[in-house]
Amino acid sequence: MKNLLRLVLCLVALPAGAAIDGAQILQKVDRNLEPESYESYRKLIDIQPDGSRKESVLYTMKKGREKVVALFLAPPSDKGRVTLRLADNMWLYIPDVGRAIRITSLQSVTGSVFNNADILRIDYTAEYNVTAAEEQKDAYLLSLKAKTGEVAYDGLKMWVDKKVLLPVTIEAYAASGLLLKTLHFKDIKDFGGGIKRPATLETDSPLYKGYKSVMLWSGLKKREFPDEIFTLNYLPRVQELRK
Amino acid sequence: MNCLQRLWPLVLLLSVAGAGAAEEFSFDASEFEKKPFEIGGYLQLKQESFAFNRDGAFYRLNSVNQPQRDNLDRTTGTMELTGKLRGGIGTFDFHTHSDLQRDQLAHDHNNILYEGAYSIRPDPGLTLEAGKRTLRWGKGYAWNPIGFVERPKDPNDPELSREGLVMANGDLIFNREGPLQTIAFTPVLLPVGNDVNSEFGAAGHLNPAAKLYLLYRDTDIDFAWQGKGSRPGRFGMDFSRNITSNFEIHGEWARIQQFARPVTDATGRVTTEVGNATSYLLGLRYLTEKDTTYIAEYYRNGTGYSDRETREFHQLVDAAFTQLQQTGGGVLLQKALSLSQGSYGRPNPGRDYLYFRAQQKDALDIVYFQAAITAMMNVQDRSYQVTPELSYTGVKNLDLRMRLFLLQGGAGTDFGEKQNSSKFELYARYYF
Repeated sequence: MKNLLRLVLCLVALPAGAAIDGAQILQKVDRNLEPESYESYRKLIDIQPDGSRKESVLYTMKKGREKVVALFLAPPSDKGRVTLRLADNMWLYIPDVGRAIRITSLQSVTGSVFNNADILRIDYTAEYNVTAAEEQKDAYLLSLKAKTGEVAYDGLKMWVDKKVLLPVTIEAYAASGLLLKTLHFKDIKDFGGGIKRPATLETDSPLYKGYKSVMLWSGLKKREFPDEIFTLNYLPRVQELRK
Repeated sequence: MNCLQRLWPLVLLLSVAGAGAAEEFSFDASEFEKKPFEIGGYLQLKQESFAFNRDGAFYRLNSVNQPQRDNLDRTTGTMELTGKLRGGIGTFDFHTHSDLQRDQLAHDHNNILYEGAYSIRPDPGLTLEAGKRTLRWGKGYAWNPIGFVERPKDPNDPELSREGLVMANGDLIFNREGPLQTIAFTPVLLPVGNDVNSEFGAAGHLNPAAKLYLLYRDTDIDFAWQGKGSRPGRFGMDFSRNITSNFEIHGEWARIQQFARPVTDATGRVTTEVGNATSYLLGLRYLTEKDTTYIAEYYRNGTGYSDRETREFHQLVDAAFTQLQQTGGGVLLQKALSLSQGSYGRPNPGRDYLYFRAQQKDALDIVYFQAAITAMMNVQDRSYQVTPELSYTGVKNLDLRMRLFLLQGGAGTDFGEKQNSSKFELYARYYF
């Protein structure tokens, strides 16, 4: 009798599971996290095993699915540095060097657990395909595979809150299957303008045992930008765009 | 009650700790809003110890009529200030450099305006500016053959800020869809007079220059040009591209037209060779999974001297000191000194160089600790310089760096005839 009940439950559950459209969920996650074009301020905090901290503050502008600029406002040693991302291309402009150099997604311009792909994140749908979607009690579990070898993480496991369609936890994996880091989204906050999303992202990594990195959002709002600012020539002047 | 009184301090402590934890990750961006006036910079204290190469041509030339030494200790204090003043549609920004040096032989100080320019942006795609500005053209890490309108870069410290040149320049940016994503045009006018940009070349010219940047199929491409004026005319190009996300290649090519190159023989007879000089550079940057970055470059210096020409110059120096000792005459010495202060005395006067740098982030598993080693070699005479380096940036607003320069080469070679055989350098830089 019990086996029959299990069979019936499985048959009922199977079409429901198959009906989950992972790609559509991921698209909604992208738009619920941020408008397609926006500005925001972020603070990055790196906490070392002894409790000491290093903080960076960035002003970020994004346009469309694949254009991001991030300007460092603090600490003083990094002030004026600008990173630009156009799809898979990334550059770093250092005022003293006076020109932009190409950087890679796996590097970290802040020297923290957050790498450039985390700091200059573009839409998940721009970089990943959903290979599997599973419905769990309070969340959807999406398995994502990088579209190209240029993407920082070969695979992601993303737990998405079913009610608000926002990520709760993301595990990032290398092509070898090695867990590189885990991202924990917390503290859902109303930023105004219909933007309600986590204001805190905590990261830990088995590769950096004892270290933790935190990203905090503030001043996130929709804003349209001209295309010209997402160019190497504009990077020295990006800070003039802040209001 | 007694028990509660005893526990009260603990309760208070826990409440304070709890409050601290709640505020642990607070962030209010309002303190970072744009201000009409901003200023920042750094203070640096540097200690250098030089071990002199007593047999080297440049030691002998630089220490004529001075007490002979085996080593020298130098302390340098540096302050650099950067700031912005915003008003209306324009922005004035500046960058100053002040230093104070002291060693066993001399005291010195400098106050230099590195940059000071006013810029306006009538449109996001158009910027116009005038003043003293540092433009850096090219993609090379250690050298830039197309750095036409800038002071020479120090390959021992390529990321060091440099003094700019007085100029008027513009920036026009066009963005479009398709394989050619960006087109940016940078015209420059650079005056040279007795008191303005006099190091650039002959006075009395308004030198035009321009750069065209293209982002074409994920490749950065620049075409650069500088018209004939204070210096011979020149043109060139560069490129940079990621082959994979962690592997970048870059290159530069430049031709200087009718470049005049003084060449001496061992007897001090100087001839000026005039002809087109072609320089180029090929390089790569590779990042491993373990966060080791490798940078390698080959530099062909079209204005440089061959191994034979370099040796002839060093033979002239030997002859000059022999003449001085035997006859007391200083004719050859004056010639050698004059040449050493010109193109023979450049940091890299040779014709072919290799540059290699390996740097390890979070070395020894210490976050913010970096270990690096840099090597530079004159390919023709096989002399070289190796520089191990340690740096730490884990203390708030403080950078610490230690380097040891070790130079190696036989008599008559590029690095074998430099002033120093080694140099130890340590600095602490505090940003504010």
